[in-house]
Amino acid sequence: MNKTLRMSFSLKNTYRVNSILYSIKQIPLIKKLLPATLYSVHGLKVFANIISVFWEIISGLLGKLLYILLMVVVTGGLYEAAPKDRLFVHMLLFLSIIGAINNTYMFNPTRDKYYAMFLMRMDAKEYTLINYGYAMLKMFVGFLIFGVIFGIGAGVPLLICILFPFFVAGLKMTVAAYSLQKYKKKGISIKENTLGKPGWVLIILLLAAAYGLPAAGFVLPLSVAVVFMLLTVLASVPSFLKILSFKSYREVYQDILNQFLNQIDAAKKVKRNMHDKNISADTKISSGKSGFEYLNELFIKRHQNILWKSTKKITLVCLCLILGALLAFYLLPEIKDKTNELLLTYLPYMVIVMYAINRGTGFTTALFMNCDHSLLTYSFYKQPKFILKLFQIRLREIMKVNLLPAMVIGIGLALLLYFSGGTDNALNYLVLIMSVPALSVFFSVHYLTIYYLLQPYNMGTEMKSATYQIVHTITYVVCLNIIRFKMMTIVFGLTTITFCVLYCIVASVLVYKFAPKTFRLRV
Amino acid sequence: MKLVIENLSKSFENKEVLRDINFIFEDGRIYGLLGRNGSGKTTLFNCLNRDIKVNSGSFYLDVNGQRREVTPLDIGYVLSTPTVPEFLTGREFLKFFLDINEDSINEIKPIDKYFDLMSIEPDDRDKLLKDYSDGMKNKMQMLINIIAQPNILLLDEPLTSLDVVVAEEMKQLLRTLKDDRITIFSTHIMDLALDLCDVIVLLSHGDLEIVAKENMDSQEFKKRILAALREDGHE
Repeated sequence: MNKTLRMSFSLKNTYRVNSILYSIKQIPLIKKLLPATLYSVHGLKVFANIISVFWEIISGLLGKLLYILLMVVVTGGLYEAAPKDRLFVHMLLFLSIIGAINNTYMFNPTRDKYYAMFLMRMDAKEYTLINYGYAMLKMFVGFLIFGVIFGIGAGVPLLICILFPFFVAGLKMTVAAYSLQKYKKKGISIKENTLGKPGWVLIILLLAAAYGLPAAGFVLPLSVAVVFMLLTVLASVPSFLKILSFKSYREVYQDILNQFLNQIDAAKKVKRNMHDKNISADTKISSGKSGFEYLNELFIKRHQNILWKSTKKITLVCLCLILGALLAFYLLPEIKDKTNELLLTYLPYMVIVMYAINRGTGFTTALFMNCDHSLLTYSFYKQPKFILKLFQIRLREIMKVNLLPAMVIGIGLALLLYFSGGTDNALNYLVLIMSVPALSVFFSVHYLTIYYLLQPYNMGTEMKSATYQIVHTITYVVCLNIIRFKMMTIVFGLTTITFCVLYCIVASVLVYKFAPKTFRLRV
Repeated sequence: MKLVIENLSKSFENKEVLRDINFIFEDGRIYGLLGRNGSGKTTLFNCLNRDIKVNSGSFYLDVNGQRREVTPLDIGYVLSTPTVPEFLTGREFLKFFLDINEDSINEIKPIDKYFDLMSIEPDDRDKLLKDYSDGMKNKMQMLINIIAQPNILLLDEPLTSLDVVVAEEMKQLLRTLKDDRITIFSTHIMDLALDLCDVIVLLSHGDLEIVAKENMDSQEFKKRILAALREDGHE
């Protein structure tokens, strides 16, 4: 038992330490400083171990902290009428049932389990029980600490707060024991993290009970909740014994991990298939063009699903929203003033909207996975004049795809401005109509440019460039933070348009100068 | 025509993979490049194809005594895993390729003639490439690489995924193609190398070295190659 305990922890830790070292190795600049033999450097290992232990504690505690804080305390604050203590218990009780159904801790298919039980042939029962016990312990401690802190904050008696971790553990054990029983009796395989339809219905009902009932004015009395919790704890005793005495853990895991490993082994295949699926099998698709225009037209037509079809859907939704807003002006004239004010001060929000509806990333991923991944292995395709020619064609195409919804939104916003009372400065209309398409052009240029400058994938379609991911993350963070600027539409709009024009010029220059060298497969 | 490699070196971090290689490949021959796992065969190809930068040294073409740079169009590189653009049909891929290379290809033939050459069945010609079998993808890749008639044809383990019939067809094809070009064929399979190649070159200790056949019979020759390869890798 003791040995299994030590080994399973050391295995999990090694796995995590190596993952940490691997991630450090992916950071640009830093990776140049690190030796190739990184995994055997003692100092680095110690460092990674510290992070690993730290992470273990944080993930256990922080998870529970955020869970209770967000799902119960903050959300609970929205219900002003309900008594705070009863509401806290009510919500946590129903959410815990969902958690128990959703995640028993026992059947999570993870790699370390596969390594331990199958590659290293450790005793499946011992290993499972130890890991399960440890996961339950972490949960228990987290619930005890934050349940008590927030519970007392809400005015719940201390004893009830202390009862909670026992209740959650009992519930989880009962669900796990039930699954084991089902497996033993009927051979029904256990699936964690994948709920069937009845499971989802149940969860929706429980969510409704957790959040809907209090809104309707019903909150469980404390006495009922306590009785329910105590009964659950009592009922969990046989479940506990069942879990301890169950013999076929190896079999169960064989089954669970098989499903999971098929995914790992076939991960690349699945990824491939996912991209293959984007290719339309419509045999009527053809093109009358020649050369690169021919290649491009076939690409666009065979990827309708992720390009035009999806952009048309987005456009339709935008159109409906705008028409809906116009209708609302007619029905509720009092919202006009507020809307007018919003339109003249909240243009920055459009950045995140345009970020969200842009097809640029989908386009570049499909370009690589279904086209460049293979063609870049041919010398003819890598000639600088061809790379630039195709860049122009692709840029034109993705701009067209993105401009459709952008034009609708731009004109729509101008219409909304006009019908919500108009503005003294007619330039505002022009700015609205121009700045949204300008943003759209910016995103189109941006994604295609960084794709051409950083081409991040290798032959095996693995992402090899951390810089590429960092640029993507920065793009997201910047877009998210622009929301915070409260600026007159006219100022923000003109700035945006100027920025987009400048960006396009700089990007084109960079692509023309560097893409012939950078646009190739990573080795 | 000769491909001359001079003092070529390439290392990854501290590991020196190619060490100061000096070698001359001549046209009209198929070179069998043999080396153990990790000996640097693919690295050498990637260097010649300019997919990775070399640390030092150079390589160039010597055409009738005139020295010139190797351009991308000089090289056809057939990879071990076949890669073809999945969203095109075989015919479309070929048409696209012929379209953009019409200036550099002598005597463009009708598309079906090319398919005939590779014995790709008429039924398969208008299927999407994503639905091709590996063997057929390999044929397409080979076809594209030979239509352009590159001066240097690099083949990285090209026949391993093919069934015996297709492999035999490919071998025959390579033999007919070897005139006027340098063919370098990397493989792990010694019998294949002995059967197809005119010259056996070992990549060991980061350097290229011809195994002279002299008057040995094939058994002796094999023993000699094995002995040479065994020395490698246990430094």
